[in-house]
Amino acid sequence: MFTSLKYVFGENIHNLYRIYSIAKYELLADMRDSKFGLFWNFASPAIQVLTYWLIFGIAWNRKPIGNINYLPWLVVGYAAWWFIQPCIQSGCSAIFSKTSVITKMKFPVSILPATICAKEFFNHLCMLLIAFVTIMICGFFPNLYWLGLIYYALCAFAFVESVSLILSVLTMLWRDVRKLVTSLMRMLMYFSPVIWECQFPDTFPLHGFLNVCMKLNPVYYIITGYRDSIFYSRPFWQHPALTLYFWCCVALLFIVGCALMYKFKRKFIDMI
Amino acid sequence: MEKTLYDSSPYAVEMEHVSKIYKLKKKDGDSKSSESFYALKDITLKIAKGDVVGILGTNGSGKSTLSVILAGISDIDSGQLAIHGEQELISINTGLNNQLTGLENIHLKGALMGFKPKKIREIIDGVVEFAELGDFLYQPVKKYSSGMKSRLGFSISLALDPDIFIIDEALSVGDKGFAKKCLNRMKKLRDEKDKTILFISHSLPQVREFCKTGLWIEGGHLMETGPIRDVCDHYSDYVDKLNALPDKEKKKNLDEKFKERLIVTEKKSFWIKIFG
Repeated sequence: MFTSLKYVFGENIHNLYRIYSIAKYELLADMRDSKFGLFWNFASPAIQVLTYWLIFGIAWNRKPIGNINYLPWLVVGYAAWWFIQPCIQSGCSAIFSKTSVITKMKFPVSILPATICAKEFFNHLCMLLIAFVTIMICGFFPNLYWLGLIYYALCAFAFVESVSLILSVLTMLWRDVRKLVTSLMRMLMYFSPVIWECQFPDTFPLHGFLNVCMKLNPVYYIITGYRDSIFYSRPFWQHPALTLYFWCCVALLFIVGCALMYKFKRKFIDMI
Repeated sequence: MEKTLYDSSPYAVEMEHVSKIYKLKKKDGDSKSSESFYALKDITLKIAKGDVVGILGTNGSGKSTLSVILAGISDIDSGQLAIHGEQELISINTGLNNQLTGLENIHLKGALMGFKPKKIREIIDGVVEFAELGDFLYQPVKKYSSGMKSRLGFSISLALDPDIFIIDEALSVGDKGFAKKCLNRMKKLRDEKDKTILFISHSLPQVREFCKTGLWIEGGHLMETGPIRDVCDHYSDYVDKLNALPDKEKKKNLDEKFKERLIVTEKKSFWIKIFG
């Protein structure tokens, strides 16, 4: 177990520049592909948020959550989701999409999930910028608690990196994983507090049990964390149990991911 | 696989009874058993340090498999393999992105090969000069002709400095002038830096001119090793003989060779693959 952890961790640390370059030039190539380039990195999440706001906020007339209006509440949650979802989805094909490279040169395969996460992190920053502008228009201004975002972004990165480590290897073994994950991601979005707060009212049967179940989803911790930092001025040490649970989850996922990566590192070329 | 940076062994590569097996898909969709195929079968060879080896063989004989195994990209299924020194497979078009400009591609491919930013800045001038890109450096690679693209890729690869070079069909790109230039560069590596070079090519004149030792693989077996001249002669005789055969016999010959490399085994399930 420790050899695999050391192997994956070491390879990622030694190749930080490689990870950075691959992510950077892939983003650049994506931008060159379209006429407006960088504009779409901002526009596509903005349009998504706008859609959800129009449907749930305006058409269904969502009341403010706590005492926060729906639009700022949604934007912050969606910013976190806009990092997690594409990371997991393209994390599946992290290795598969680079077959031309790994079959033709000696290449540290275990850094590929990290390149995807780094690339999506840039998109996440774009989305955060939109979120900041929106909530400032709505009257929320930066305070010290916003620094909690750095911690929660780190949490999100650790989580998506671990998940894509596992999924990228599984996709190589079994190509269907990618399609399965694409379908499940939509479900995961509705089971995470992105567009609703994932709290069942007291009148609902079994509401206590269901609410605990919702919290077992690691994405819950990340998204509520983003909101806690911005709206509720709550630092992360106010949820010790959930924090411990989240990091145990991530550690477990990471260990499994490393073990899979270590076991198959030289076999990928034969699975194509 | 053993790998050490400095080694006193006189050999760069030692292989003993090395086999490599590929899985095949069955025609009739039988899921219980599957067929496997010996890409390489029971190969034993030694390559001395500083040797320049030309690897010959007809299509599908296992040359490329041998190159990925020696490059440390793929694992062997049985036997023993020891590589003394650092090895690199020279790949031409790998890692080039069509959307990016030549200059950006130098940065990208350089980073892919594991160079640090400082080293990449150092190699840029050399690459531009060697690849004869001129002002095309600032054009996206999709505008390049295929020869120009290969020149760029190959020039970046030349910045690598391993102990063992593995070159798979690399010099068959570009026009004659560029091939000549590459060959001269490789000769310089051979004569001045005393590198071990494994050279895979279908161009017999190139191999004859460049290599010292010949290595002939046919149908996954090692047919012959020895001085390049002898191996080349035997190989070209063999190819001529094969080509002179009538079509029917040629096919029979191929089928026989294929059968010899086939193995039928039980198929492993998904869960055994993960935990086995």
